[in-house]
Amino acid sequence: MRVLLVEDDEALAEAIARALRAEAFAVDIAANGEDGGHFGATEAYDVAVLDLGLPKRDGLSVLADWRAAGRTLPVLILTARDGWSDKVLGFKAGADDYLVKPFRVEELVMRLRALVRRAAGHAASVIRCGPLAFDSATGQFELDGLPLKLTAFEWRVLSALMLRKNAVIERLDLLERVYEGDADVDSNSLEVIIGRLRRKIGTTLIETVRGLGYRVTDGG
Amino acid sequence: MRLLPRSLSGRLLVTAAVTIAVALLLAAFAIGHVLERFVMAGLDDRLDAQIAIVARAVEADGRLDAAKAIDLPPFDQPGSGWAWEVIGPAGTLRSASLRGGDLPLPRGRDWSPFGRGDERHGRIRQRPHPLEGVDTEGRAIHYRIATLPTLRGDAIVLAAGPRAIVDRPLRAAMLPLLLSVILLAGFLALALIVQLRIGLRPLVALRQRVIDVRAGRIRHIRADEPTELLPLVEELNALIDANEQALERARGHVANLAHGLKTPLATLKLDLARFDAAGEGRLRAQVERMEGQIRHHLSRARAAEAGIMAGRQLLAPRLHDLAAALSRIHADRAIVPLIAVDATIGVQCDAQDLDEMLGNILDNAWQHAKRTVRVKARAVDRMIRIEIDDDGPGLPPDRISDLNVARRLDERATGYGFGIAIARELAELHGGTLTLRQGDLGGLAVDLNIPDRGP
Repeated sequence: MRVLLVEDDEALAEAIARALRAEAFAVDIAANGEDGGHFGATEAYDVAVLDLGLPKRDGLSVLADWRAAGRTLPVLILTARDGWSDKVLGFKAGADDYLVKPFRVEELVMRLRALVRRAAGHAASVIRCGPLAFDSATGQFELDGLPLKLTAFEWRVLSALMLRKNAVIERLDLLERVYEGDADVDSNSLEVIIGRLRRKIGTTLIETVRGLGYRVTDGG
Repeated sequence: MRLLPRSLSGRLLVTAAVTIAVALLLAAFAIGHVLERFVMAGLDDRLDAQIAIVARAVEADGRLDAAKAIDLPPFDQPGSGWAWEVIGPAGTLRSASLRGGDLPLPRGRDWSPFGRGDERHGRIRQRPHPLEGVDTEGRAIHYRIATLPTLRGDAIVLAAGPRAIVDRPLRAAMLPLLLSVILLAGFLALALIVQLRIGLRPLVALRQRVIDVRAGRIRHIRADEPTELLPLVEELNALIDANEQALERARGHVANLAHGLKTPLATLKLDLARFDAAGEGRLRAQVERMEGQIRHHLSRARAAEAGIMAGRQLLAPRLHDLAAALSRIHADRAIVPLIAVDATIGVQCDAQDLDEMLGNILDNAWQHAKRTVRVKARAVDRMIRIEIDDDGPGLPPDRISDLNVARRLDERATGYGFGIAIARELAELHGGTLTLRQGDLGGLAVDLNIPDRGP
């Protein structure tokens, strides 16, 4: 899962990014409204965390522009403005969730996961595919009822595939959701990760669709 | 020592009364004086006429011709107080009224001018001099004295008349004079009081307008007259504006401070979450306390002064907006809001404060509801009662009555429904109330009463 974090306070942005990375999220940080607006409009993200009081451009106008341009990525507004009038304005501008500073990081993580899950069209938090289960609320994978230990890259790839199970996800799309914006991407690394995942969960669950990408399927 | 009273009307009254009194006294004195001069001039003319007649008896060589000294009445009547006397270098002539006795001469004057010569015979050198004295019977006497030069020295001609002849008409005139002065004073005092009443009325009106501004009924003072007060009205309006701006700035500063603190607090909280040290729980509790304080004081600072500039807010659209926001915030709860509020129902309240009250109560309901949050609103004697209840587990009756008793926010903040506590504070600030009760749907019901007009 790749998160766009638009937050101008450097210390807070770093703390959030650290906490999210610890939960296996890939995090891109934009320090002002202009950069944030640009990233959100051009890059592929699973979810965006948007501060409202931003330098250069206000968060609300960034959000309104994304929506006007047809960007549907789920957006969580993370702001110090805790008034209900502000919240109403945020949702009217197209926000999907609203969290007031200061917040508990567990809550932010939980809300981000829920946003991503709902955006993928899952009502229940646990997504199953054969012997594999992904609890999108806790981020835990289970194989045959036993916890599955994954690295951050493996987790990102598998969660992206699980959230859109049975659908083919293009290699480029998958790569975008796995690596942070400034990462040096080796095009072979995806194959390496898939190979490692197959060793952990068996070769049948992840299917290679030649020339297109990958999909997770329970054979249905 | 204070010479002037504290009140404006007192000052005007005192200064006007003093000047009027002084002016009337001066007028009375002046009129009295003029009257006396006028009456005295009559007496002088009579005496001077007699002196002129008697002066003809003084010959150029100083001899006195008694045949020429004619006694006009009443100079011939003894005891009348009217008399004359000529004291020449060669003898003395007297009026018949003196019956041969001397005219008592006024004291304090050198009576030895005899022997001085002058070329201009038989002519009174100048207008006779006045003198005051007392006759043998103790009556006040008015004298006129003239000096006539003769070859053998000066002859002195004296004429005397009773002073009473002047005093009697003076006394007679004084009474009506004083009476009219007193009447005039009364009339002026009456005019003064009327003037004060009319003149100071705009001040009373201005005070009422200032009261209206303070109560939030009007924003600025509007006045076209009197022109003397217009600069004051302008200054007052400028002061009201400056005050409003200062308040706005102060609110802005508090909000900036609070919002500025929130981001480092968020960072602190995130950092604390990383360390599993023994003191973490305590530090976290402290951070949460700071958070609660910021939230509380921010909401107080943001709360608009009840009544001022509070427009009428329609309830239904705000409730629908808030419900839409809450459906997103609690997206996994699948709560169905039932908003049964007539589109015309509105309250007199600041829009943000209304959002804050409704949002906090609705959020609480959303958190506890199983499936449904219901909102109803109706007018209950000059208040709008908004009932928000849910089908959640609710609270035991003793908890409800506990929460209904107003307590310090610190205590409330630690327990149930910090949002409810904020909503109650705001409601009370706007002249409304907030009460909790057991709802019909099974959960907690919150009754929010907001005045339909400003307080």
